[in-house]
Amino acid sequence: MSTITIALPSKGRIKEDTAAVFDRAGLAISAVGNDRSYRGRIERIEGVEIAYLSASEIARELASGAVDFGVTGEDLVREGMAGADQKVEFCARLGFGQADVVVAVPEIWLDVETMADLGDVAADFRARHGRRLQIATKYWRLTQQFFSENHGIQLYRIVESLGATEGAPAAGQADIIVDITSTGSTLRANHLKILSDGVILKSEACLVRARKPGHRQDPRVTRIVEAVRTAL
Amino acid sequence: MPLIDMPDFSTDLLDEFAARRTERVNTPVIQPAEPFLDMAGEDLRRRIFLTESETGANLCLRPEFTIPVCLRHIETATGTPKRYSYLGEVFRQRREGAHEFYQAGIEDLGDKDIASADARAVGDATGILNALLPGRKLELTLGDQAVFEAVVRALGLPFGWQRRLIHAFGDMAHLEALLERLARPQPVAGLDPEIAELLAAGNEAELVARIDRTMQETGYSTNASRSPAEIARRLKEKLELAETRLDGSALLLLREFLTLKLPLAEAPAALAGFADAADLKLGPAIALFDARLAALANAGADLSAMTYRAAFGRPLDYYTGLVFEVTEAGSPAVLAGGGRFDRLLTLLGAKDHIPAVGFSLWLDRIETARAAS
Repeated sequence: MSTITIALPSKGRIKEDTAAVFDRAGLAISAVGNDRSYRGRIERIEGVEIAYLSASEIARELASGAVDFGVTGEDLVREGMAGADQKVEFCARLGFGQADVVVAVPEIWLDVETMADLGDVAADFRARHGRRLQIATKYWRLTQQFFSENHGIQLYRIVESLGATEGAPAAGQADIIVDITSTGSTLRANHLKILSDGVILKSEACLVRARKPGHRQDPRVTRIVEAVRTAL
Repeated sequence: MPLIDMPDFSTDLLDEFAARRTERVNTPVIQPAEPFLDMAGEDLRRRIFLTESETGANLCLRPEFTIPVCLRHIETATGTPKRYSYLGEVFRQRREGAHEFYQAGIEDLGDKDIASADARAVGDATGILNALLPGRKLELTLGDQAVFEAVVRALGLPFGWQRRLIHAFGDMAHLEALLERLARPQPVAGLDPEIAELLAAGNEAELVARIDRTMQETGYSTNASRSPAEIARRLKEKLELAETRLDGSALLLLREFLTLKLPLAEAPAALAGFADAADLKLGPAIALFDARLAALANAGADLSAMTYRAAFGRPLDYYTGLVFEVTEAGSPAVLAGGGRFDRLLTLLGAKDHIPAVGFSLWLDRIETARAAS
């Protein structure tokens, strides 16, 4: 029987919260070697390994099928691969790491409250400003899907932003942003507001399974999913 | 020809282009990505092959020829009218089919006689396809954004609503959503009462001043793209547009128009009948439609194989009038697609307005069709 690998977050609050869920699920994890090791195993089940990775790496490893399970944010999984639901299964929503991926515009855009308003602004942005409306984000795929498929908005440009995205409009790097927020306080502090229909995704940490043919016959797979679900 | 994977009918195709008095041009395979993303939008990003130069410039493998040919025309500043032809590889990420394939086509720039230039593009595309697929039954579907624009204008909707509808033309889902809003207007909610009062009193100057103050206070004004005046103006327009309701009969008319699909030869009578019955004045758009049809008939085009579909358009802001597609009867594969893009050259930086019409041929699909005979 091949080893089942579960990729878990390697640091921070999400690491502790994940460990707590696994404990409650009766899937206590022990470190392999020393405490700082990036490998672990589940004591009660033979042949199940833990790999501690960064949250965005976990999404990537799930996409390539290099790991069997992962715990990471739904936002990162959906951003990281096309056709996520065909490639992975969201087995359980873990109730922590909540964050919404939202479209936010400057508060002072008094005329823009909805995506339809934004569509109007984007449509004649070029005529007024000589360039397309610019969106700062690290969520390119989610932005494209939401703007093009859900709202028929095509004419905008994405400016890649790897950090402090909320500052981009005031700094003149972009006109609006697509970013995650949990309480909205950072957005408000930067004088941005979320559009009324601008929530792209309500994300949280999830137990995610890479859809692999071998999983169907494997009792360990069912056991892990069931155990985590009952612990919630 | 140094390339050995070119379609075996390439020489015939180049002879056709020469006989049709076009100037063959080539453009580099590696292109700056910005013009494509700017014109077609970010959605294109996942469908092209992007790369970056050592200095950080966004580059892509040529996904199509129209934009590079137009850019080349602007750079070389050789004046109009010009008839360019091209044949070469294009590169796209596709779920089905190869990522690299050949396209060829003609771009007709600067001919001010719109009707005859349109008819010539349609004639060239069908003529070339007939030569490459002798004896095969081809079908052409034609649309015209200008006719839709005329219908929308004639309905007497406010300018902002006209702009929304025209912008969505070619995207039926988006258009339906807009019609839904016109049928059931929703009042604007959540407006600050003080702002609402200023608007109601028509005190635009105070509104602009207030927006400006807030921008200054929040440190947003230094780099603001949208000015206080622009925001105030659009807020006012939005409130007006939110109250616009299209009555049931006008909505029905628009929907009826969008379902029109009939043999091209019967389209002028049908459009005239539609305009009469609805008491709409469609004027120049219909005149141009009829002139194009007459030019097609004069050129000996087989009108019986041509269909007019009123809702057929492309939801990109540089398309302006004619669009068309050619398929083989009974097959969905588009062998040639074309249209008029009068706004593209100015968007790409041309100083003068240059009317433009063109089409491209999907050589891989033509090759498949030839092999199937």
